[in-house]
Amino acid sequence: MHLLIEAIGFGVASGAVLALGAVGFTLQFGISNVLNITYGSLMTLAAFLGAFLLGLGLNVWLVMALGGLLIGVASVALNRGLLSPLIRRGLQPFGLIIVTVSAGIVVQYMIVAVAGPSTVAYGNLSGATLHFLGWTLTTAQVVILVVALVLMVGLHILLTRTQLGRAMRATSSNRTLARSCGIATTRIGDIAWFLSGTFCGMAGIALAITVESFDFTLGSVVLIPIIAAAVLGGVGQPYGAMVGGLVVGIVSQVSAAYWSPSYENVVALAMLIVMLLVRPRGLFGANSSSRKLLA
Amino acid sequence: MTGIEFYVVVLLVYLGTDLLAAWGLNLEYGISGVANLAYIVVIAAGAYTYAILSLGPDSGNGGFQLYVVGWQLPFAVAVIAAAAVGALVGVIIGVTGLKRIRQDYQGMVMLVISLMAVTVVGADTGFLNGQAGLSLIPNPFSSLSPAVGDWAYVAMVALACVIGFFVMRRFTGGPMGRALRAMRDDEHAVAAMGFSVIRLRLMSQAVGGAFGGVSGALLAAFIGGWSPGAWAYVETLALLTAIIVGGMGNDMGVSLGTFVIAVLLLQAVQFLPQISSHTGLTEALGWIILGVLTITFLWVRPQGIFKERRPFYRSPGETERSAPGDSATGRVAAPRA
Repeated sequence: MHLLIEAIGFGVASGAVLALGAVGFTLQFGISNVLNITYGSLMTLAAFLGAFLLGLGLNVWLVMALGGLLIGVASVALNRGLLSPLIRRGLQPFGLIIVTVSAGIVVQYMIVAVAGPSTVAYGNLSGATLHFLGWTLTTAQVVILVVALVLMVGLHILLTRTQLGRAMRATSSNRTLARSCGIATTRIGDIAWFLSGTFCGMAGIALAITVESFDFTLGSVVLIPIIAAAVLGGVGQPYGAMVGGLVVGIVSQVSAAYWSPSYENVVALAMLIVMLLVRPRGLFGANSSSRKLLA
Repeated sequence: MTGIEFYVVVLLVYLGTDLLAAWGLNLEYGISGVANLAYIVVIAAGAYTYAILSLGPDSGNGGFQLYVVGWQLPFAVAVIAAAAVGALVGVIIGVTGLKRIRQDYQGMVMLVISLMAVTVVGADTGFLNGQAGLSLIPNPFSSLSPAVGDWAYVAMVALACVIGFFVMRRFTGGPMGRALRAMRDDEHAVAAMGFSVIRLRLMSQAVGGAFGGVSGALLAAFIGGWSPGAWAYVETLALLTAIIVGGMGNDMGVSLGTFVIAVLLLQAVQFLPQISSHTGLTEALGWIILGVLTITFLWVRPQGIFKERRPFYRSPGETERSAPGDSATGRVAAPRA
């Protein structure tokens, strides 16, 4: 029982990072309708940028915020410079996924070309170990948990309480209708890509803080549980992704505790495949953007 | 055997095995329209199958590597088994492609399958020796002197390519090719003609998988080792780039693309002198160029260097230019009386 409680604690901590990543992934998909596989490489980029900024002697939490902003800008540039023009030229969805995979590979190997293929570590930033509720977490994990929580609440307020959030939700559920109502959907798209990149960057740095060391494959490995979390909650639904992230995190950690740590990601995939075959629109019923997935 | 001769042998073997794989993937993606981003998994399945069927029991060589099965079958039998396993894995992957979901979503799922297979095989050391992979995989010509044996291997790969080419033509051309291309362009139309879409799709997955299996087996037997590092998901992209650059659905184009992309760009650059302060730089540059090339071609010339040749029905005297339909938009030309 003790093991279970402890594993759930780890699961919540890693689920918070996954939820950050999954919310960014799903938010952008809901609004722009593009599955962005470059996301994983952008996370890696954030982690390496973080290592560089830390080397300059900045505070780790400042680095996390800066990394988020930088990746946000990179994400907008990816959409404006590459994906939008290709969509205007009539590229089909499968061509588009090849483009995002290729762009991801370009980013990933540019990191290798600049920083080399060896592993990088942030050093020990975890701080004192805290015990509560039977959980054993490091200070860093708790701070990340709080940051993730604050960001989620912030996103919730943005989506439900502001004009911009309403415009975003309207664009997500029906782009054409939203444009007819006078919403600047292109600008909303830019904002969605920026927010997505910000979440992606912060998740990447949070992940880099919690792991011992990482290399250029960081993003492509963590992409599996992130996609699983997003699909579990229904692609395009931010609230679903939050729950999905937590569920994937907890289930992975519990199975790692009772079974084998190396199978952590395997459970995420199994969940993904089952969801996809049984209920591709996610746990929480259909919204318009997850309906779009059905051919 | 001189260095340059060995270099040529290596490139020729890579070319042959990559050709088999690219034809197989072209059948699945270019001809049948299944977005198989997990193709490298069937190649790996073939390589591992060949390895465990020819290495003998894992207690040999001091038992330094662990794996299942451990038989010692003749080369040809092991390769045929690799083809069969490749086909089986191809069909299993293909089942996820049957679900009627958007093509990019499907591609994403395939990508995740590919990432996952590497993780599972790498994690389980008792299954296929985990992350370290299998080594000392026997070469069928090891009893010959290196010079003769290597050229014999090239000849054998070339023979496999010739056989593979004629087998593949049965599927990409003729009535079967037309049915598969029709399925890619309009599922409902081909179903209305009395074809079973499921059967066609799984068949193309099986044939494509068998090609991948043979390719993997021939590659593993030549290199002598196979590990999760050899089949990262990016390898599938290299084959896809070859298909996109060369011209999807066009056998000639795919072959040319394979030579330029998979062999010259990715393999040949690895023999360039390494810069000691930047290990892996040349390899990284190869992948960067590959990614940029893919995006450039999809942007500028999505049909590739050699356009797919469509089987038009033309009345005498009509030129191809006046034929209806355009392969770049993926529309099927209506037959003209």
